[in-house]
Amino acid sequence: MLFLMFRLGADRYVLDVEQVEEVLPFLEPTLLPGAPHGVAGAINYRGQAVPLLDLSVLALGRPSAAVISTRVILIRYPVEGGETRRLGLVAERVIETVSRDPDDFVPSGVDAGMPPYLGPVASDAEGVIQLVRAEALLPVQLREILFRKLQAGS
Amino acid sequence: MSDTSDRKADEAGMVHPRRRDRQAYEAIARALLDRPLPPEYRAEWARHFAGEKPIDAGVEAERAAAVIFRIGEEWLALSTAVFKEVAEPPRIHSLPHRRTGIVRGIANVRGELLVCISLATLLGIDKNAAVERGDRSLHFERMVVIGRANGRIAFCVHEVHGIHRYDSGALTAVPGTVGQAGSSFTSAMLAWEGRSVGLLDEARLLDAIDRNIA
Repeated sequence: MLFLMFRLGADRYVLDVEQVEEVLPFLEPTLLPGAPHGVAGAINYRGQAVPLLDLSVLALGRPSAAVISTRVILIRYPVEGGETRRLGLVAERVIETVSRDPDDFVPSGVDAGMPPYLGPVASDAEGVIQLVRAEALLPVQLREILFRKLQAGS
Repeated sequence: MSDTSDRKADEAGMVHPRRRDRQAYEAIARALLDRPLPPEYRAEWARHFAGEKPIDAGVEAERAAAVIFRIGEEWLALSTAVFKEVAEPPRIHSLPHRRTGIVRGIANVRGELLVCISLATLLGIDKNAAVERGDRSLHFERMVVIGRANGRIAFCVHEVHGIHRYDSGALTAVPGTVGQAGSSFTSAMLAWEGRSVGLLDEARLLDAIDRNIA
């Protein structure tokens, strides 16, 4: 199975490539005034408004560095009724993919108190890789606000 | 670098120069990716993705590719799907009692004996027309190997231009009054560098070849 790797600070995280639609350069978002914490704004992706979430803000409390390797991962975010909506994630060092057996990922053992989007972990020579569950990235109320606001605006 | 020096380097516990190079290149690549964003970079990309129309998967699938080559004065195109290889013209060994028809003989293509045919004869092209006119036609002569799952066949052409990608929608019908050679094998006309190139129907062509060499 192929995973897209990115970094939050020094730690490595992966997303299942099945959920990823495209990796975009770190494009300028339109700011959403009053947007909740972690929402960097909205991007116009081929005429469609897509909310942009900065993972560094969510995980580390600081925005992603403004360098070339910081990119926007466009994922298909599952919503009710089997439908998916596009969601942009800003992450650092989005420069490689890794091929791993899904069975390599095991529960980290410290689930309590961890953010809900962090899934099981896999290890290699460099340390630990954490799997991010895209569907758990947004709390329900944030998801409601975000997608409703964008719909009303478009 | 020879094998012996490789081994010596390994024994001495040294990092192989090529591996050291690779590490250096990786570091350089990383440094490039970690450089700050140029001014206007983010705004420019935002404009780029805002403006572009979504790429329709259907349109994408209609892109096709053909190899364009020349026999005599005739430029022809044939789908890349049937192309196996293009190589220097080989020495063709003629076969006894097979001096008529399209078979020119057999050729050794990397250890495999392939039947070599004359596509010019099959298509009814006067292949000497251009040869008389100038010498350039002789310098680019190539052997082309085409085929399907059940066998491969070689023929020589005077020149291979290369692979041309085109939009299936841009093909035009073969003119009804076409005086061009090989029109019965031509499925459509392809505009290329200001001229119309006949796109050969690969299935019909290969069927005809099979019939003629049987």
